[in-house]
Amino acid sequence: MSARIMVQGASSGCGKSTIVALLCRHFASKGYKVAPFKATNLSLNSYVTGEGLEIGISQAFQAWAAGIEPEVCMNPVLLKPGGDAGIQLVFDGRPLMDLKRGSQVPLDLLLKATKRAYQSLAERFDVVVIEGAGSPVELNLTERDIANMRTAAIADAPVILVGDIEVGGVFAGLFGTYTLMSKEDRKRVKGYLVNRFRGEENILIPGFVMLSARMAVPSLGVLPMLDVRLPSEDALSLGTTKTSAGGGGDAREEWTRNLDSLLFEARKHLDLARIEDIAFGRDSAAIATTQRNE
Amino acid sequence: MDFARKVREEVKGGIAGPNRTCEYYPCHFEGQDCTFCFCPLYPCMDTELGKMVIGRKGDPVWSCMECHFTHRGEVATDLKARLEHEPMVPASPERNHEILAEMSKNHRKRARSIMVLGATSGAGKSLITTALCRIFSDRGLKVAPFKSQNMSLNSCVTRAGEEIARAQELQARAARAEPSALMNPILLKPKGNATSQVIVDGRPYADLDVSTYYDEFVQNEGMRAVRDAYDELARDNDVIVIEGAGSPAEINLGAKDISNMVTAEIADAQCILVVNMEWGGAFAYACGTIMLLPEEQRKRICGIVFNNLQGSADGLRAGIIKLERLVKIPVLGIVPHLNLTLPTEDSMHMMAICPDQGAVRVGMIRLPHVSNFTDLEALAIEPGTEVVLVSEPSQLSQVDALVIPGTKNTMEDLEWLRASGLFDGIRAMRGKVPIIGICGGYQMLGREVIDETGVEGGVPKVLEGLGLLDVVTRFSAYEKRTVQVDGTLLSTGEEIRGYEIHMGRTEGTMRALLSLREGGIEHNEGAVSEDGMVIGTYVHGIFDLPPVRKKLLSLARKEWHRGAAEVAYQEVVEKSIDQLAAGVARSLDLKSLIEHAEGT
Repeated sequence: MSARIMVQGASSGCGKSTIVALLCRHFASKGYKVAPFKATNLSLNSYVTGEGLEIGISQAFQAWAAGIEPEVCMNPVLLKPGGDAGIQLVFDGRPLMDLKRGSQVPLDLLLKATKRAYQSLAERFDVVVIEGAGSPVELNLTERDIANMRTAAIADAPVILVGDIEVGGVFAGLFGTYTLMSKEDRKRVKGYLVNRFRGEENILIPGFVMLSARMAVPSLGVLPMLDVRLPSEDALSLGTTKTSAGGGGDAREEWTRNLDSLLFEARKHLDLARIEDIAFGRDSAAIATTQRNE
Repeated sequence: MDFARKVREEVKGGIAGPNRTCEYYPCHFEGQDCTFCFCPLYPCMDTELGKMVIGRKGDPVWSCMECHFTHRGEVATDLKARLEHEPMVPASPERNHEILAEMSKNHRKRARSIMVLGATSGAGKSLITTALCRIFSDRGLKVAPFKSQNMSLNSCVTRAGEEIARAQELQARAARAEPSALMNPILLKPKGNATSQVIVDGRPYADLDVSTYYDEFVQNEGMRAVRDAYDELARDNDVIVIEGAGSPAEINLGAKDISNMVTAEIADAQCILVVNMEWGGAFAYACGTIMLLPEEQRKRICGIVFNNLQGSADGLRAGIIKLERLVKIPVLGIVPHLNLTLPTEDSMHMMAICPDQGAVRVGMIRLPHVSNFTDLEALAIEPGTEVVLVSEPSQLSQVDALVIPGTKNTMEDLEWLRASGLFDGIRAMRGKVPIIGICGGYQMLGREVIDETGVEGGVPKVLEGLGLLDVVTRFSAYEKRTVQVDGTLLSTGEEIRGYEIHMGRTEGTMRALLSLREGGIEHNEGAVSEDGMVIGTYVHGIFDLPPVRKKLLSLARKEWHRGAAEVAYQEVVEKSIDQLAAGVARSLDLKSLIEHAEGT
């Protein structure tokens, strides 16, 4: 069985996709065969694989970050909101049906697809980096949410939480996410990290000390806000309106370059060694704290 | 003297209670006490009760036209009893001062307060505060908004010449109160490099870095400013609606964060917590914020508001019940995303106000230190007009008109213009599209910007400007002009108004844009190029009234529909406040908040 780690977020647009890409690139740079995975994606931005199958654009970029070509099992379910027509359900890369307003996603089917796709990756790769979707504790959705804790269970994956500090309230977001999880789910959480920070890291330390004590998991670091252009999955994380720049270069190459400069920074700010340990199940400290927590 | 005799008569006998036979009744309010038609304490010189104005003869006189104090029954009775024991009526100014101080202690009120906290920045605190101000004002209460500390580059100037955040100005408008620095005693204007210009009581105080601000300023001067401003506001209102800043659960800051729970304590406020639903994780943020607060602070929170819901609220019920059970605080309701035209504080989503196909596209240069970009909002709501951000030269070809907005740092942003290639790009647009520079943008349009003493960047420096206007700007002293202005557009004689906030002076021999009236004196302002296509002015809010908007858009590259310029921005804003208040009142269970505000 491969090593695996899952990135879940305190909110949408907190930088999960980028962190997953970053971890893919990190593991790849250390010589591992690594693949990204996201069970379900709600997005209008998609990519078509070499086989002509449609997946979320983020998994395509993450695959390139890992140095491999995108394939459909990296994102077996894609939901494309289409306004009045409802949501188009893209299943294993092909449109399966339009879900009308109020109708339910066929859970069994999706769970089966998730299992199959994940297994396929786990058999072929050393490491799978899994991305969650939105927040794992949308209390009204938990029964139908397969992209977060259900996927973590399928992959038996340790989870790290990401909080976006740009809008403030990051301690509350992380602590609330952790608190609202079930006891079982909480055991999977092995650490947290703060994304998009501007300023002097030391100012946060008293907060981390308190938070780590209350959550019984360690801080994995603070990623600074960098002005690098990375593709965003949806308009939410686009920020400001930009008219097309018509730059001319290969956007994919530019993006990979940007990711490398982000990784360069990440190596200074994140505890990547510990993240590796978590992925490979070697993180004794996190295990110990979890046991204490029970 | 006539006045002294009348006051003696009032104290001796006169009428108690309302005098409904008087032809001027009610000159202040229905049910007023008319014991003192002439105030025995006049001129009290208490600036909470009155103010100096210019009288008919041009002399300064004390005006207390809006003072209701001695017309309140219990106040009149008390005052009369006190004066009956005075050896001399009217008493000396010193004695009057003493009497008023004692009376104030007994009778001046302390407003009740409601505080709007947010789980994050951009949660919608500011809008919910605005809505509550209007809702309470509509119920006949005297309301004022308050935010102890605001970090924003979008400020405006009060009638008294004080600088406050735009958000509090809008809230004052919603409360139907005159904007005042009391409503926003500390304003932080970020300058980059973790340094902010700190404005205290509406005036520039100092430039402070983050650690000096938190470790020295906040605990001393900052706390004093907040306490004094709040106390003064509370003495003169029925209810204060307080807006928090960011999240109250930044546990790394603790007691250094004076703008949230410390302010709540000063005001003894009942708090509500607003959570934005747009980004997901709303339940987590609500729960986490509440659980991270210490017990005694948590007790102040009496309700949770979910804000900005896009789509249907169906299915949220079960989640809400779970949350309420866990945190033991009721959810007051869910406010849907409301489409309103209101000045935004720090987001730039004004750009989405009129995403019109085939519209006239106004490009705003996205300066790194852009400030008062709210100037552009009046343009963005103009039908047939769209505002886009321009941050690289390739985008210039897509715009029909160009605005260079204000900036917190003209020198640095001018250097950025050069580095980004926009400097030459903008110069190449000369004559093709109208170019208007406001404030810092105006300074950049000139031949040269001279920082003689390092006011902007710490070191003296001279930079070449865009050279599109034959003017030169000099920064010589650390002084700042903050003033509201009105006047006319010289080319048409139409009325304009706005406000200036800037350091530095700009001089040249070009045709002026505006004629401004200030303290009874008229002077010319701004500059216009020979062909009329390049315009510079220091006046913010210049697009709020139609004339300059009309001018800019009529010069724009595309055919522009002129009739549309008559949208009076202010009216749209007023209507939007009412819609906002109605939307919030419809969505939330406000019963307990209203009871608290009304003291029932």
